[in-house]
Amino acid sequence: MPSAYAFYLATILVYGAVDAMACLALNLEFGFAGVSNFGFIIFQSVGAYVAAVLSMPAAATSNGGFQAYVLGWNLPWPLPWIGAALAGGLLALPFVFLVGKRLRGDFAAIGLLVAAVLLNVLVKNYVPLFNGDAGISIVPAPFQSIWNPQGLGYQFAYGGAAIVLTVVVYFLLKRITESPYGRSLRAMRDNDIVADSLGKNLRLQRTVTLVVGGMVAALSGAILVGFISLWAPGAWGYAETIVLFAAIIVGGAGNHKGAILGALLVPLAFEEVTRFIPPLSNPALVPALQWVAIGLLIILFLWFRPDGILPERRRILSGKSPKDVQVPTGADSDALVKLGNLDELNFRELLRLGEVTNDQRVILSTQGLTKSFHGVTVVSDVSIAVHQGRVTGLIGPNGAGKSTTLAMLAGTLPSSGGQVFFEGRDISGLASNQRANLGLVRTFQLASEFKKLTVLENLVSAIPEQSGDSFWGAMRGRRFWGSEDKQNVERAMELLGGFGLEQYADAYAGGLSGGQRRLVEIMRALLAEPKVLLLDEPMAGVHPNLAHKIGDQLTRLAEGGMTILMVEHELSIMDAFCDPVIVLAEGKVLAQGTMAELRANSDVVEAYLVG
Amino acid sequence: MSSFGFGLITAAVLAIAAVGFTMQFAVTNVLNLAYGSVMINSAFVSYYLNVHGVAPWVSLFGGVATGAVVSWALNRFIFTPFQRRNLAPITVVIVALGVDLVGTFGLQAVVGGGYVSFRQSPGTEFHVLGMYLSGLQLIILAICVVVLGMVHWLLKYTRLGKAMRATSANPNLARNSGVKVQWVISTTWLISGALCGLAGTVFAMNTGVFEATSAQLYVVLLLAATFLGGPGEPYGAMFGALTIGLATEISAAYISPQYKEVIAFVVLLGMLTFRPYGIFGSEKTL
Repeated sequence: MPSAYAFYLATILVYGAVDAMACLALNLEFGFAGVSNFGFIIFQSVGAYVAAVLSMPAAATSNGGFQAYVLGWNLPWPLPWIGAALAGGLLALPFVFLVGKRLRGDFAAIGLLVAAVLLNVLVKNYVPLFNGDAGISIVPAPFQSIWNPQGLGYQFAYGGAAIVLTVVVYFLLKRITESPYGRSLRAMRDNDIVADSLGKNLRLQRTVTLVVGGMVAALSGAILVGFISLWAPGAWGYAETIVLFAAIIVGGAGNHKGAILGALLVPLAFEEVTRFIPPLSNPALVPALQWVAIGLLIILFLWFRPDGILPERRRILSGKSPKDVQVPTGADSDALVKLGNLDELNFRELLRLGEVTNDQRVILSTQGLTKSFHGVTVVSDVSIAVHQGRVTGLIGPNGAGKSTTLAMLAGTLPSSGGQVFFEGRDISGLASNQRANLGLVRTFQLASEFKKLTVLENLVSAIPEQSGDSFWGAMRGRRFWGSEDKQNVERAMELLGGFGLEQYADAYAGGLSGGQRRLVEIMRALLAEPKVLLLDEPMAGVHPNLAHKIGDQLTRLAEGGMTILMVEHELSIMDAFCDPVIVLAEGKVLAQGTMAELRANSDVVEAYLVG
Repeated sequence: MSSFGFGLITAAVLAIAAVGFTMQFAVTNVLNLAYGSVMINSAFVSYYLNVHGVAPWVSLFGGVATGAVVSWALNRFIFTPFQRRNLAPITVVIVALGVDLVGTFGLQAVVGGGYVSFRQSPGTEFHVLGMYLSGLQLIILAICVVVLGMVHWLLKYTRLGKAMRATSANPNLARNSGVKVQWVISTTWLISGALCGLAGTVFAMNTGVFEATSAQLYVVLLLAATFLGGPGEPYGAMFGALTIGLATEISAAYISPQYKEVIAFVVLLGMLTFRPYGIFGSEKTL
């Protein structure tokens, strides 16, 4: 007779594997892609229910029909588990509407939380679906007709199988996160608006994440229900999701091993350790204190160790050993930034510019572009034309609507009226990522680096049409995208060398000085291979010497056929590099011409130049 | 018609709560998911005063004070320090969830899991405009009207109210225009906390019996009311509360009481998906 401890151990194996699998899935969503799925538990739950009703006989015939449920197809293993995973993926689809780019991450999270509470209420009260509040019981275990599920051998085999599946999931998810696609997911996590402006399809990326995460979560639910043979609404209150979040935060968001460690430390250990506390006079005390502990864990870890026990791993693309990674110190100020062999860079090759005939035609134009907020018009009826191969300047006093205009050109802000034409085509209806993919790329006035990507990753993430930058590309593995990625890294390294920042290739971009970050941003925009580059105050915070060196390169790029539209306050930059210059004032085009012409224009001088 | 009466009371309590919740969001950009736990803790303080011989309507002030002090402290010692670290808004929301667990279950650990109720009689029943309302419910309605009137006066006619609206619209601009933003934020949390404590106590009185986790799902109603009117908009929250309060009670009467909150969930999901800035709001408010 095997001891009770052996059975207990087998149970622990199954629970540990299920928790680890769930945490891996949630970590993909939250830790890597930045999708805060506060309704995560419903994905695990739908897997448990679907696996149960697919494996159970029809409701009327089972055990005298005391339970009510749908389906009851009596399917053999592994069909119920496959069905469960599919259901988990399908359940993600309605949430596509919530996780688009227009909604703040915390609002989307609230939506998911509410969806979880809502589904719990519905399942609890609508008995015909999954037997209501009482839940489903006597769920058949896989192979129970030929192998006794109560036997110790079966239980250990079940635990072993659960662990094997968890390992499979681990490698599968790793395949995604270590690919260029994983890089795009992390870029989205760090700054979604910027990722969007570089051509990443946020809605698609988030949907893929939720579908994959949902499938894995559902599989974990299926494994659990096959073992414990019952599932009821009480097991998946919305707060269970918070336990898994606590696990990820404790273990380390953005690190698969951290997610597994968190699963073993938080849900598993908390459940199991407290089993051994002797019963107290107040039976609610232990569970209550458990919840208090979960809450405290979250708060204390986020304060004292926000990266968790196993922080996200730095991805060193340059090939250096981790010891040699150089991190910027406060000591090297912008004034000391030394540009490298910038003049020797072959932009045409490096940026894959191709053969462009520089014919000065109108490449980007607007017709009556207008924007109003709250009934206040900030950009009014702006019609401008930007010529190919020129560096066009956009100036105007504060509040003139320069940045708003630029944002409407790039599609970051929807316009209230008017049209934008790019290469003769009306692109007013296109989203910013679509415009970026056409070759209309912008930079931002505020710091916009992907903080927890290295400098090199920041640059490479912008390169368009990477074969590993899609779900299926990632699934095909490194053999499929590895050599191309290596070339991309080399291109980014060469550019980095030109700007004199190659020593910081593997430093996190968030740790750079202000001026260095601007350089990274400009390089990143260039690697997005723009036809038209929209720069929003690229020289703000950059040392004047450096600014002029960058200006020289922009001129060189324009001579090579790239078109540049630059918002800038610094008039010396305009004088030196921009022709023509467009003046905006109070949301309207005031004048246009060379700087010399503008200085002679009394309206402009009055509105801006002396002002 | 009686469900309309119930709806009115639910709406009244919800309005007080939602105005406090939305004010906190307005000045600090925090969706304070720990709001429900502060409500129920305040209710328990009132309840213990009541048990020790204080008249229910006097004990109410204990709840109001608790809500004010606890909310102020939460903002001062937890939310503000986290926000200073320049984290994503979601981090603060997760922290708020953690605080909610600590608040709710810490209370449960102290008071136990049993149901309690205030020592008071519901009062004589009145028959008003076809609705049957107890004396207690009429008092709750009166409190709601008075309190919302005070909020209106505060927002429209006082310097503090103007400063709050300025801080909500653009904290940096407000600071540069000489508004003492930190002071405004602290005061707002004190006032909104008082509303939270008041709402918690009248919620508990109106429910009759309550326990430590009774307000756990209340936050969903709050969010529904808040998002219906547009987050950060006190008048929107009042409108949202009236709509959600009536809708839940009327649907309870005509569909099924088990599903009465469902309409709130559906409204909230719909608003988040299609108009996250509220029925009256515009995009810029976010």
